[in-house]
Amino acid sequence: MPNKIPSFLLDPSPPGSFKLGRRKVNIPFIDGGINHLTSVIKKGYVQWELSSENGLFQKIDARIKVLFLLFFVIIVSLKRGLLPELYIGVFVFVLVLLSRLRIVTFYSRVLLLGFFLGFLVALPSAFNVITSGETIGPVVRISRPLNFWIYHIPADIGITREGIYGVTRLTLRVVNSLSLSFLVLYTTPFPEIVRALKVLKVPDTFLIIITLCYKYIFIFSKTVEDMYLAKKSRMAREVSNTEAREWIAGRIGFIFRKTRLRCEDVFKAMIGRGFSDTIKLYGFRKMRTSDWYAGTFLLFIGVLFLLI
Amino acid sequence: MIRLENVSYTYYDKISALSDVTLEINKGDKVAIIGANGSGKSTLLQIMAGLKYPVAGRFLFEETGVSEESLRDKGFLRFFRENVGYVFQDSDIQLFCPTVLDELLYGPLQLEINEEEAMNRAFELMKMLNIEHLKARPSYMLSGGEKKKVAIGSVLAMNPQILLLDEPTDGLDPKTQCFLVELMLALNESGKTLVIATHDLSLVDELQATVGVLSEEHRLEKIGSADDILRDTDLLLKVNLIHEHVHLHGKTKHTHLHSHYLFHRHSS
Repeated sequence: MPNKIPSFLLDPSPPGSFKLGRRKVNIPFIDGGINHLTSVIKKGYVQWELSSENGLFQKIDARIKVLFLLFFVIIVSLKRGLLPELYIGVFVFVLVLLSRLRIVTFYSRVLLLGFFLGFLVALPSAFNVITSGETIGPVVRISRPLNFWIYHIPADIGITREGIYGVTRLTLRVVNSLSLSFLVLYTTPFPEIVRALKVLKVPDTFLIIITLCYKYIFIFSKTVEDMYLAKKSRMAREVSNTEAREWIAGRIGFIFRKTRLRCEDVFKAMIGRGFSDTIKLYGFRKMRTSDWYAGTFLLFIGVLFLLI
Repeated sequence: MIRLENVSYTYYDKISALSDVTLEINKGDKVAIIGANGSGKSTLLQIMAGLKYPVAGRFLFEETGVSEESLRDKGFLRFFRENVGYVFQDSDIQLFCPTVLDELLYGPLQLEINEEEAMNRAFELMKMLNIEHLKARPSYMLSGGEKKKVAIGSVLAMNPQILLLDEPTDGLDPKTQCFLVELMLALNESGKTLVIATHDLSLVDELQATVGVLSEEHRLEKIGSADDILRDTDLLLKVNLIHEHVHLHGKTKHTHLHSHYLFHRHSS
């Protein structure tokens, strides 16, 4: 073997030297983004898997929780006033507290998504171009009003009172719906959610797809993170954004191939264990008295919100 | 060369992977980190490779602290990556270039070695690893043993002074395993520092390495020579590297300590 070892590997030269200086490596935005995204997905997954058993909501049957989620999301969508939305928000906050979830992590995710999916989406409707009404914050003045298709653009473009009301209402609805969904997701193991959906007569095909997607998200984020580490282990210099983009483009192809192969393997494994076309689930545990009490209480609160 | 001082690491702020590990590795050493599955071997190697950073304690390379911050220094990044090579347990993950040749060229080109020298290195390595015929093949069309060879080649092409190998013989056929053991011994004889994570006790014996034993509580239980550690049955039992084994010889039932290599002794 020693004879076959290339001469450059036998070079006994001591390691070079370096000087710690001020020349810093800029980490490409894409690299940092990938790393952050995978860690967020994995943290979320593990937090879900390891959801504490001691909180209030964790003790309630998954069927009750799924029905609670559906019922309350409908209520949130039906309410037209800001105060009822705020009351619902406070109620969910209390449930989150009693379920011993990490408040800061929980609401940082809810508010971040709420900002993008609620506030930013609704923001244009705050202007009098879309929502007419009393202008309380003029922004731009144009020489004359314009009429375009079904739109009327007034000479004084600004934010209206009605527009702000609409944006606030939509943002609150989105935040409330997200916090309700996260509350159920973080306090219920995934297999129980799937079984609860089966009870609600959700089609098997849909359940198979979400089960496989759920598992794949974790595998995918682990693969991406490992590939990033593999690249990092051989990265001895600064990489430009162009190089980072090229690398990612190549990796997308790799992940696609890997996904296809894994998909085939998973399907073979399912067939090998007798899968036909239906999901067979073992029976739910019997509902306990405490589950009925919790269900009745949540129903009562829900009706109360409907009435106010 | 490498010093770990009271290093701890946790995944997702919840799952402990390493607890208070202190270890020193000098130039030319041959070290095997052994432990049961989940004891933290891979995490320890990834910390030594500057891919993960301790949540507590310090990792020093040539007396310089290795951290996210220090590895952002251009000079230190190059110095560290030039000297420390890490071979992943899963070769599939490690190989990310279009072909085997690209894979072998990637590291040297990162180190800004001229193209002719990089080509020479790649071809010499392919010859040594008997993979010349695979140079134009993409990594997903290689067998497990071939992938492992390419992964090792891709790291050797950078000529690191320290080689960190995570489960190098895992899942390989006996012939490829023999080849790798010979290669590791030859590289160590040529002055390279070897650090291997494994639960394969036969590999530890063949390499006659200095052994660090990680417990299932993620602590470094003991450091010693291969002979010392492999004779310490109480320790190996404690860290779950050997176990009680029942089997039949004809009609006689035997119960004894067993590892899949070393301890297959019968009392009668």
